[in-house]
Amino acid sequence: MTKYIIRRLLYMIPVLMGVSLIIFILFNLVAGDPSAVLLGKNATARQMLEMKEQLGLNKSHFAQYVDILKSAFTFDFGRSWATKQQITYMIKQGAYPSLCLTIPAFIISTILSLIIALVVAFYRGKGIDLFIRFVCIAGMSISALAYILGFQYFFAFKLGWFEISGFEYGFPNFVPYVALPGIIWILLSLGPDVRFFRTIILDEVYQDYVRTARAKGLSEMTILLKHVLRNAMIPIITYVVIQIPYLILGALLLESFFGIPGLGGITLNALNSSDFPVIKAMAILSSVIYIIFSLISDILYTVADPRVKLK
Amino acid sequence: MKFLSILLCALIFSGCSKERNFDERELHLISLEKFAGFDPIQVSDRYSGNETGKVYEGLFEFHPFKRPYILVPNLAESLPTVSADGLVYTFKLKKGVVFHDSPCFKDGKGRELRADDVLYSIRRLADPKLQAKGWWLIDDKISGLNEWRTKYASLDHSNYEEAIDGLKKIDELTVQITLKKPFPQFLYALAMPYTFIVPKEAVDHFGKEFLNHPVGTGPFILEKFEQSNEIVYHKNPTFREKFYPTEGAEGDDKLGLLADAGKRLPLVDKITVHIMPESQTQWLSFQKGKADLLELKSMYERAVDKSKELHQELKSKGIRLFMDPMLDVTFYAFNHENPFFKNRKVRQAISLAYNRAENNKLFYNNSALEAQGVIPPGLGGYRKEFKNPYTKFDIDQAKRLLREAGYPDGKGFPEITIETRSETSARQSIEYFAKCMEKIGIVVKAGINTWPELVKKVSTKQHQMYTMAWGADYPDAENFLGLVYCPNQSPGSNGANYCNPDFDALFKQATILQDSPERSAFYEKMNEMVSLDVPWVFGFHRTEFYVAQAWLKNFKQMEFNHTQFQYLGVDLEVKKELSKKF
Repeated sequence: MTKYIIRRLLYMIPVLMGVSLIIFILFNLVAGDPSAVLLGKNATARQMLEMKEQLGLNKSHFAQYVDILKSAFTFDFGRSWATKQQITYMIKQGAYPSLCLTIPAFIISTILSLIIALVVAFYRGKGIDLFIRFVCIAGMSISALAYILGFQYFFAFKLGWFEISGFEYGFPNFVPYVALPGIIWILLSLGPDVRFFRTIILDEVYQDYVRTARAKGLSEMTILLKHVLRNAMIPIITYVVIQIPYLILGALLLESFFGIPGLGGITLNALNSSDFPVIKAMAILSSVIYIIFSLISDILYTVADPRVKLK
Repeated sequence: MKFLSILLCALIFSGCSKERNFDERELHLISLEKFAGFDPIQVSDRYSGNETGKVYEGLFEFHPFKRPYILVPNLAESLPTVSADGLVYTFKLKKGVVFHDSPCFKDGKGRELRADDVLYSIRRLADPKLQAKGWWLIDDKISGLNEWRTKYASLDHSNYEEAIDGLKKIDELTVQITLKKPFPQFLYALAMPYTFIVPKEAVDHFGKEFLNHPVGTGPFILEKFEQSNEIVYHKNPTFREKFYPTEGAEGDDKLGLLADAGKRLPLVDKITVHIMPESQTQWLSFQKGKADLLELKSMYERAVDKSKELHQELKSKGIRLFMDPMLDVTFYAFNHENPFFKNRKVRQAISLAYNRAENNKLFYNNSALEAQGVIPPGLGGYRKEFKNPYTKFDIDQAKRLLREAGYPDGKGFPEITIETRSETSARQSIEYFAKCMEKIGIVVKAGINTWPELVKKVSTKQHQMYTMAWGADYPDAENFLGLVYCPNQSPGSNGANYCNPDFDALFKQATILQDSPERSAFYEKMNEMVSLDVPWVFGFHRTEFYVAQAWLKNFKQMEFNHTQFQYLGVDLEVKKELSKKF
């Protein structure tokens, strides 16, 4: 397994080189002119030229690509062009609120979805199954924005149960601020998660080993929890672990409406202001996290199913 | 069982909302946009100016109540003495002004403001290594400064010790600035955040982090700065003796705006600025009493009834609505380098086919004023009686002009892309514009861009048309007329790339004149000349709306409001009394 892990980690090198190349191409071909944005509405042509020189944008394309590669492999992203802050500091500052919101919501929504999926699988084809499937589809058909606007107005403003907006660092200070967006996250996740988990579980329910277990006289609940769930774990692990990188990157819409100073907002600001070092850092960080978590999901397969060998 | 679960949920979550303290002498404000940092030379937008103006100060400021806007001394002792040729300005600084206490100073104690600080701050604005957003303001204005900038553009460090002809220290509290040519707007420049005074020690001590550690002479000291969350300031204990004005505009006394006359500033102990980019979040927070003042944008419609009065529910809480025309203009600019738009009749036809009255109803609740030219009301050069014959809605005339231009019913005319920002309202405006143009056979589509993409397209002349709004940097029509001055074409502020030699000749003459009836007459002539030539499809001069809580004192709308917050107060009795309603 160690060899496998080392090999997968080494794969990061070509992946990061590819990601750097894509970032470089997009920045040079598609993105706006950062010098014009950074200098404001009254910029002169000469000032823009000087600015490009200072930002290193008049270097050869190859040299610019090498700069991106260096950042990708050293994780030294430098300072933001817009805020002049160290990007690593900005990421640390933004990751905390993002994770305060997304981790509890993600854990609760995953557990809840699994429980509901098991229940509907248990009562498959019956009224409760149809009802929950209907609710899931209905819930997924409503835009996230509608949930946010409606819940913020009704529960935070009208009933006053939650904070409308803001964030405080430190536990439990942040709880009042992330409670409502967390609930919205859970509701938004339930629909797709329950449907996915239900399909996976039902796939297993019709396997031969389930019939054998029933023949041996095991209760339906034991079959579901001890045998079906365990065998369904591989696709569930893939689905769950691959979502983790998105938790770190924040929930853009929720953060924006509830005033949570997370990474989603930092990325959006960077895109709006052509803050290339921050865009670059976020893109590289996302790829690295994605690679790491896909490796973790591979390792977890061996835990869930001892027959799986990583070679 | 169901009832019990609902009750349980309610009990759990009721602890999730924090109550606001209603007995504090603290202002709660909302900033509609995020703010990059406190470096005055990089502060180019209003929201950043508002934050910077709480901690830093300039030599002058705009009077908080008098209109039209007039300059009054702030860090300067008085208005400067100006030489007969309008080139040499001598400024005396106030005595006893000290910077905030900061570790950048010896023993952490703020030192006294000196002439060197003023000169240093102007050099920073010109420093090629810093690429200040405000450089345009003094570009080619101060004797010797451009040469200094050019000299150090290609070197590693700029030498701040090197003498510059136009920047002289006469004594510890006297500064002399010599201009290359008359620049009547120069004093306005000294009231703008770009020229707010910073101490060299702070810049050296904090280095690249300087913009996160402001050290000014202003009425407030920064306590907490979380860019996407909140900014907290407390009253500066070493703030000089500065008093609330005893005079205002006509009627201000009756409005209670002079009730605090003569009191020492600032009037509040603390300011918390909540960063809220989403309009619903702003509006709900304000209604909950969590903010004292709010600039209304799209939420205006929800605040007023059909008669444009505040809803009764808001009135019952003592909330007040303020509205005032902005010094701005919105427009659809043609790119005059595009051969199709070189034909004046085409431009006039497009302008005539645009139904402004309907647009005003749809997008501005009929609150905006249809622009007849470049200059907004409230500035010298604007003439109320002037009606541009091409801003009326006249489809027949538009069709006739288009036919005369060689495109009967739009035949042979290409599809036009109007570049705009990726905002819903901007896209909707272009959809409406396209619907108007359909009537004369011209097909219009929207080019949706992020802000950087839009800037790139306009600055590199890759656009056919684009739409934008321009707000005044200072109260002088020159700031608007410059948008159609040929030497300012892309990448400068004349994104239409419009060139009119007659207009340019007048611009050169007028902009060196001091504010006078003669200059206003020049501006009027230029505005009307250029308006008839239709360099843009003129849009609107918009109205700005604010709502304020009953307890907020001394608020008067102000276009250049960077220093306004020290004058705002809180009526604690009213606040306590009304607290039950929130």
